[in-house]
Amino acid sequence: MFTHYLDLSWRSFKRTPLVSILMVLAIAIGIGVTMTSLSVYHMMSMDPIPSKSQQLFHPQLKTMDEGINWWTSNDMPTQLTYQDAVNLQKAEVPAKKSISMRSGFSVHLGDGSIKPFMSQARFINADFFSMFQLEFVFGDSWSLAQEHNATPVLVIDSQLNDKLFAGTNSVGKQLYLDDKAFLIVGVIKQWTTHIKYYDLNNGAFNETENIYMPFPLVEANQYENWGNTNGWKHESIRTFEEKIRSEHVWLQFWVELPTRDAKKDYGEFLLAYMQEQQKIGRFNRKELDFALHNVTEWMEFNNVVSEDNKVMVALSFMFLAVCLANILGLLLAKFLRRAPEIGVRRALGASKTQVFYQHLVEVSLLGLFGGLLGILVAQLGLWGVRITRDYYENLATMDITMLLAAPAIAIVACLVAGLYPAWLVCRTNPAVYLKSQ
Amino acid sequence: MLTMNNIGKIYQTEMVQTHALRDFNLQVNEGEFIAVTGPSGSGKTTFLNIAGMLEPFSTGQYLLDGVDVGKLNDNQRADLRNQKIGFIFQGFNLIPDLNLYENVEVPLRYRGIKASERKRRIEQCLEQVGLASRAKHLPQQLSGGQQQRVAIARALAGEPRFLLADEPTGNLDSLMARQVMELLEQINRDGATIVMVTHDAELARRAPRNIQVVDGKLADFTLYQGAPTANAHVLEGV
Amino acid sequence: MLEIKPIFKALMRSKVGAVLLLLQIAITTAIVSNAAFIIYDRVTYLAQDTGYDEENVFSFAILTFGKDRDLMQQTELDETFIRNLPGVIDAAAMSAVPLSGSGSATGFTLKPQPEISKRARAAYIQGDEHVLNTLGLTLLEGRNFTSDEVVVTESAREVPNVVVVTKTFIDELFPEGNGLGQTIYMGDLPAKVIGIVESVSGPWLKDSRPKNIVFIPLMKAMKAQNFVVRTESGAREEIMKNIESELLQQYPDRVIDWLTAFDKSKDEYNAGDILMMRMLIVLIAVLVGVTALGIFGLTLFNISKRTKQIGTRRALGARKSAIIRYFLIENSMISLVGLVIGCFAAHTLGQLLMQHYEIPVLPIGYIIGTALSVFVMSWLAVIGPAKRAADISPSIATRSI
Repeated sequence: MFTHYLDLSWRSFKRTPLVSILMVLAIAIGIGVTMTSLSVYHMMSMDPIPSKSQQLFHPQLKTMDEGINWWTSNDMPTQLTYQDAVNLQKAEVPAKKSISMRSGFSVHLGDGSIKPFMSQARFINADFFSMFQLEFVFGDSWSLAQEHNATPVLVIDSQLNDKLFAGTNSVGKQLYLDDKAFLIVGVIKQWTTHIKYYDLNNGAFNETENIYMPFPLVEANQYENWGNTNGWKHESIRTFEEKIRSEHVWLQFWVELPTRDAKKDYGEFLLAYMQEQQKIGRFNRKELDFALHNVTEWMEFNNVVSEDNKVMVALSFMFLAVCLANILGLLLAKFLRRAPEIGVRRALGASKTQVFYQHLVEVSLLGLFGGLLGILVAQLGLWGVRITRDYYENLATMDITMLLAAPAIAIVACLVAGLYPAWLVCRTNPAVYLKSQ
Repeated sequence: MLTMNNIGKIYQTEMVQTHALRDFNLQVNEGEFIAVTGPSGSGKTTFLNIAGMLEPFSTGQYLLDGVDVGKLNDNQRADLRNQKIGFIFQGFNLIPDLNLYENVEVPLRYRGIKASERKRRIEQCLEQVGLASRAKHLPQQLSGGQQQRVAIARALAGEPRFLLADEPTGNLDSLMARQVMELLEQINRDGATIVMVTHDAELARRAPRNIQVVDGKLADFTLYQGAPTANAHVLEGV
Repeated sequence: MLEIKPIFKALMRSKVGAVLLLLQIAITTAIVSNAAFIIYDRVTYLAQDTGYDEENVFSFAILTFGKDRDLMQQTELDETFIRNLPGVIDAAAMSAVPLSGSGSATGFTLKPQPEISKRARAAYIQGDEHVLNTLGLTLLEGRNFTSDEVVVTESAREVPNVVVVTKTFIDELFPEGNGLGQTIYMGDLPAKVIGIVESVSGPWLKDSRPKNIVFIPLMKAMKAQNFVVRTESGAREEIMKNIESELLQQYPDRVIDWLTAFDKSKDEYNAGDILMMRMLIVLIAVLVGVTALGIFGLTLFNISKRTKQIGTRRALGARKSAIIRYFLIENSMISLVGLVIGCFAAHTLGQLLMQHYEIPVLPIGYIIGTALSVFVMSWLAVIGPAKRAADISPSIATRSI
């Protein structure tokens, strides 16, 4: 019967082509507008590391003295001080953990063979690679000893490897950052994440860094961080030594806690750590406080999805409602005109249920057409978004979920709009239409 | 076959109640051919709609083949209508977008009959009304008489035992009317029970039993009652 | 206006159509008024005067890795080199670039910290005496730095003791307007305000104090050094094109990056707002179109349903104008109810948006303006079909369909 209803729907579509096309257009525009904003929203709010997002945690410590507030929603800085980051990293807690800091260098090969260029680098601990599921194409991470001794080694990503070494195995070769030579120990597969969830301080959708280096090099070579440095008390950070001893926060820190218990234990450890620090005069406050956010919570906390985008999504759904009201009106007109035919069908043995079902199939077909056309409209919209803001290059696209969602939302929306007209037409008294005037 | 006991039908509007039928009693036996006459607004069509289960009735009892119609839900009524009743309308009521073949197919679809069986029956019925060669035509390409014959074929396709005809010749000229009437008589001879509403006295006279509806009540003018033909069974091999 | 009652009765008989129309008009009013206001908010923000000659200023950064030159000396050489390029008005190395979204800010106080005193947040820009001229700033009071006052340091131990500030900033600390000559503190370091310039935008247009800037006469040797250049009108493009190769010719062991024109830099900083504004404009346009089409379609449908009735009315002597009036009044009745509901909906939506997002209160004028426009639009949409209805021949009444 379903195919028969489809056939009837198609005939009905062709019978009143203008009205049908108008309806499909209305749905397509409604869906197109909605999908444009929804796609961007979806890409922005998508879990960037589904298998690990509930296990990777970014701690926050309330370092400020009593009476001093931070501007974040939970009154805690979003980064850590150098002292805390290093202490947490060195603590003997059975968990993978890594400090993380962004910087940048002039990159060259030291022999004038290429024109030097600027490249961003991230200082991390070796655990970082496995924590964030970064796979090695060549070589491997640096050793713990190399890390400990601040040996000048580094890992590059395949994008940089392609650029400098045409994609060949570059392990063992040298790379110059500014005036210093570093040994390449590994090449990782390009890190493709459209949300830079591991460092949300300076734009959530920037590109990942091309170079990864052992964190102890920061102190050894007095590297500056490229990112935010925030303080709450008056203290000089004019020299590097002052900065690493200060209460200024400028480092990110991640810890992998696979179980609920591990998280609980880590929380207790953080409290104990802060109590320990109080003895040396830090954490000068009555109530110690900390927070542990996993990746999804961290994205939420840092407002990765912009307010504008949320407003847009809300407005687009209201817009879709207007389109639906339109479609409802058109469906009403179309279906009621067909009442005589339905009277005949009822007389010939169609039940109300069958008539109802037939009309729902018809509106679903309209929804399907509208949804498919809506994808095209949305592509146009997303193209518009991309040319307005190239920062959204990877965000203003539809992934498979969104491509499927478009017709699904369209069909559901049409069913909602079609319920009333279908109900109306199935409950009309057939006898009225059988007697010709 | 059909028994109506004290059927009443009241149309309720804001101001007034209209009794379309009251204390309506009728017994129709298997194989009868009944003409229903009566002045305009007397309740003929209401009777036919209730008989065809297109409209609910307000009071009384209606048994169709021993089934108490008042106790059925919509789906059951639709099934019963589909299996036992064939309709023929004054305005033919063919579905304009469907060709003849598809029009005849409609009741068979609702009965869930297999495609091959549908094809057999449709061809047979179109053959019977003499329009087999036009199966692919659309209704508007036919004359009124031809359209009514298609409507009859459609009514017959489900092999109903009970045909309800509402002014079947009302929109036809006398020649075509006669042809249609002859076709109905043939169908009746083949075993179907027919109830035909008409206000054409001449046509009514051709039916073995005449009843008249006046002010929603029944007045029976049976010319020769009883003695229905012996082959009162499902139309087989039609 | 005698017709209102019968029209109302007719409407009550086909409620669904009327309700649909009413809903569309209400939602449209709610969306359009809020969207229009957000657009206005963004347009005002985007059109704000930053105070710079954005068309003729650009910035870039030099990342030096060569060790054979003294960084400070090289910076000064570069400054001189750029200043002497044809078409360049002035150039200066700066610690932060206005409109770039990147820089430093701190709280300046009236007394040395940790003493508690009045505090005002400001971005600070370090550079030499060419900074003001490079940015094209007008002095309102006092004077610019002299080259003697500029502290050139490697160790970051020496600090200058004079500053030039923007008017908004100094007025925040000294609301009576007597800021010139006063001493303010950056931490425990005192600095005397020797000049006040017109208020211009700092690095962050969306800062809580976007126009609070303190200019500090300090030159520090930096591995990564920002430069700002102001050119003569029309000369910028050519200079920007060649600046990298020319500077590398001077000294090759470095990288020139982030070469950005001021207006481009502002656009990039505001890309999100521009995007939002464009999306909303598209949304409003399409929405109004769809609603107008909806009204158009529904009126046509109503007319087709009532063809015979209209014919009969015409046969009974109704003028064409009476038929048109009938539909206009009908539409107006629906629209007015829709608009009233829409106004409340707009207000509620505005409240919701304001609660959850940083959007100011929706002014009532926007709601009323939108309601009027939607009303006019509904008339425009209905007048065509109504004219068509008026053209229905009275003879229809005598014909059966």
